[in-house]
Amino acid sequence: MDTSIRLILFKEDQINQASDAIETLHNQGIHDKDISVISGVPFTEKMLGRPMAWTRVPLIAISGAVVGFIIASLLNFLTPNLYKMYVGGMPLTPIPTSIVVTFELTMLGLLIATFLGVFVEMISPSYGPKGYHPKISDGYIGILFSCPAHIEEKTCLELQDLGAEMVDPEEVKQP
Amino acid sequence: MAADAKSLLNGRKTAHVETEAEELRKEHLMLDPMPRDEMNDMVMEAMTTTTKTYWVWVIGFGIAVAVLLFGAWGYMIATGMGVAGIRRPIYWGIFIVTFVFWIGISHAGTFVSAILRVFKAEFRRPFTRAAELMTTFGLAAGAIYPLVHLGRVWVFYWMIPYPNARWLWPNFRSALEWDLLAITTYLLSSTIYLFLPLIPDLAMARDRSTGIRHFFYKTFALGWRGTEAEWTRLRKAIGIFAFAIIPVMFSVHTIVSWDFAVGQVAGWHSTIFGPYFIIGAILSGVSAVVTILYVLRKTLKNMDYFIRLEHFDGLGKLILIFSMAWAYFFFNEYLLSWYGGEAAVKQVLTLHATGPTAWVWYLMLICNVAIPWLFLWNKKVRRTPWLMFIITLLVNVGMYAERYTIIPLTLGHQRSPFDWGIYNPTIVEVSIALGTLCLFIFLYLLASRAIPLVPVWEVQEGQMAHSIRKVGKTEVPSVTELE
Amino acid sequence: MAELLKEQEETQKWGMVIDMDICSGCQACVTACSMENNVPFVGEDEMAYGRGLQWMRIRRYWEGEYPEVTPTHQPMLCQQCGSAPCEPVCPTFASVHSQEEQINVQVYNRCIGTRYCANNCPFSARVFNWFDYETPAPMNSYLNPDVSVRRRGIMEKCTFCVQRIVHGRQQAAAEGREVEDGDIVPACAQACPTDAIVFGDLSDPESKVSKMSRSDRAFKELEELGTQPKVIYLKGGKSYGG
Repeated sequence: MDTSIRLILFKEDQINQASDAIETLHNQGIHDKDISVISGVPFTEKMLGRPMAWTRVPLIAISGAVVGFIIASLLNFLTPNLYKMYVGGMPLTPIPTSIVVTFELTMLGLLIATFLGVFVEMISPSYGPKGYHPKISDGYIGILFSCPAHIEEKTCLELQDLGAEMVDPEEVKQP
Repeated sequence: MAADAKSLLNGRKTAHVETEAEELRKEHLMLDPMPRDEMNDMVMEAMTTTTKTYWVWVIGFGIAVAVLLFGAWGYMIATGMGVAGIRRPIYWGIFIVTFVFWIGISHAGTFVSAILRVFKAEFRRPFTRAAELMTTFGLAAGAIYPLVHLGRVWVFYWMIPYPNARWLWPNFRSALEWDLLAITTYLLSSTIYLFLPLIPDLAMARDRSTGIRHFFYKTFALGWRGTEAEWTRLRKAIGIFAFAIIPVMFSVHTIVSWDFAVGQVAGWHSTIFGPYFIIGAILSGVSAVVTILYVLRKTLKNMDYFIRLEHFDGLGKLILIFSMAWAYFFFNEYLLSWYGGEAAVKQVLTLHATGPTAWVWYLMLICNVAIPWLFLWNKKVRRTPWLMFIITLLVNVGMYAERYTIIPLTLGHQRSPFDWGIYNPTIVEVSIALGTLCLFIFLYLLASRAIPLVPVWEVQEGQMAHSIRKVGKTEVPSVTELE
Repeated sequence: MAELLKEQEETQKWGMVIDMDICSGCQACVTACSMENNVPFVGEDEMAYGRGLQWMRIRRYWEGEYPEVTPTHQPMLCQQCGSAPCEPVCPTFASVHSQEEQINVQVYNRCIGTRYCANNCPFSARVFNWFDYETPAPMNSYLNPDVSVRRRGIMEKCTFCVQRIVHGRQQAAAEGREVEDGDIVPACAQACPTDAIVFGDLSDPESKVSKMSRSDRAFKELEELGTQPKVIYLKGGKSYGG
């Protein structure tokens, strides 16, 4: 079946029309996985009636914190035993000072992993139709959808009725 | 007749209402929306406009960094620490003073950006990035000092925990080791925290630039399109950061204070040093934000739209509050040390207030307490940018004096009168201290033309959430929770 | 805690008694120490500026009102604290406690020069190599081969002449006997013309240093800080030193 990727644009204050447009697409039998919403400011999925986007960032962050905690524990309780040195009448592995190191390294792990999570997810392949238009960063809400050829004309007309600005498929490309 | 009177009344009323709304719009950036493309253009223009004067400043500061910082430092490395003015018993001089000062400055970004974000203080939006840049560059300037002050900087990496041929791991009981870990954590996380909200703005800049700039923005925007998944993970990540970076920020200055508080030095060994230093850091950091905002407004194009009197007003109130809090902690520390009656501590306190360098102590009190308390309660003063500029500069002078009092002046007057000494910074030390100031300004100058200094998407998000709502006979700003 | 302190007190070994009542402030100990330990000369100006590299210094206090004044001389050196404030603050373990000798050792090779230990020493007993100091000829031929020469940027301090302690122990072992009281004499004690400095084993109650440390005149400098110094000063009600 022949499909083409189309992009329609709404102004930032036309959020209601944009959500209606998504409903129209649904009615035309276009699934959520064939639709991508791109925007210059964040909108929640609930506003647009879309399924929640998933992200593993919190999970990756927690894993990073665990790694940091383990490294901190090794540094605190293993390394002093490798080469025993006594200072200032303190025990070899005092708990109070180890808390400081544990805190810092756990946080370091958490925060670096958060960033790595974002970074890895950003550069990994994403689902949904690809495409971009510079007007998005002007605050437009863009709806990308792959449209089967036989309903394309009808859909486009309906969307235009909602006030959508149709973008020439030639202009829709990756940034 | 009656109808006429009624319409007249109505007319007057609407006219009155209009001016009220206009005033609100003039006052609040969030109520004065502008189309996104115009805002983008304004920010892009501010970023790409470079005058001849700008390049003169950049080159001037670049040379200053090379000579004052790296020249003097190189000379010191080649000759020995002796070119600094420190001597027994004052082994730490203005290197450590300036180190604490910069770490304090670096608290501004996190405070403004994370704490105000967590508490949804909307006026933060236009200047979060300017403040975060201060954090990163303040830390960059501050993190140089632990290296500068080392006697043998060429083996500084012996502090880093890694398996090595010496079979030796660093001492995790040392406050300096904690410093290393805390500053590394804070530097990395604040840089990331600066970068994350920057991604959509880099994408914006990517769409409106060509050539080398386009390449730079395209690379760092990581292919940002603004899909729902991208926004979701960005929001999650910023959320994690905003909450996690606050305790990190507190820990950093607490650990800096522990450099002193874990010592047995009279006047250092105080349990209140942690919070006392944090409050001081935030006081000096928020003050520095105002200083920078004033300069940005003066020198960067289109900034009077984004940075308004309301921001000076709001930050002025914060400075007043933190000045009061600082005074509270200072008094707490002072009173209980004095009451404790330990002879050596009393001597130190007496020296601070009446010794030959008592002017430093009074300068601290005047700049940190007297000036903010005398002026900042006044709305007119808070809304006069040049006055705020002077006041906030003075607050930072006072904070520098505070650190100077705590470090060399306290060290010089310890338990054995035979070893008492005074300390005068040498030209090399002053040069390095000024050098890091130049480094900070230099980096900021470069960054102001390299990245969008206003988080446009955050401003737009805020403007979309704000509206003017009619309540009874007046109109008030109202905020919708979009997130 | 009390038990821990007691245990540390019990295991302490080397100690020193300095009788301030017979110290004449002649500085012979300072000179002998510098010779023994390859301590460089920093020159008059640096010395006056407070950068003298002396492991042993004579602190002179004046008592009374002019002209009725008497000086008190207090030879000040590293007190070899049992619970030393300088040790835990060092990030690179350059300042550590020696379990064997129960003294505080400074490992020059590990020192990166943070000078934190010096700030934290209540006795200001630590000195820092501000520059590389040249030893003028012919003094450069006098360097003690048992003691490493330090370069700029590192901390150093009195070691209780640890090289002599090791030497004495090895000598005794070679002769198949225990180390006897008086076998080991650090340079300062050796040079003291009035025998004001006595060194020995504090864990042996019969040693001279132990007996002297039980004198009524005995006190420890800044004992209230709880650093457990191993140097004991003797001082009566009146100064005789001047």
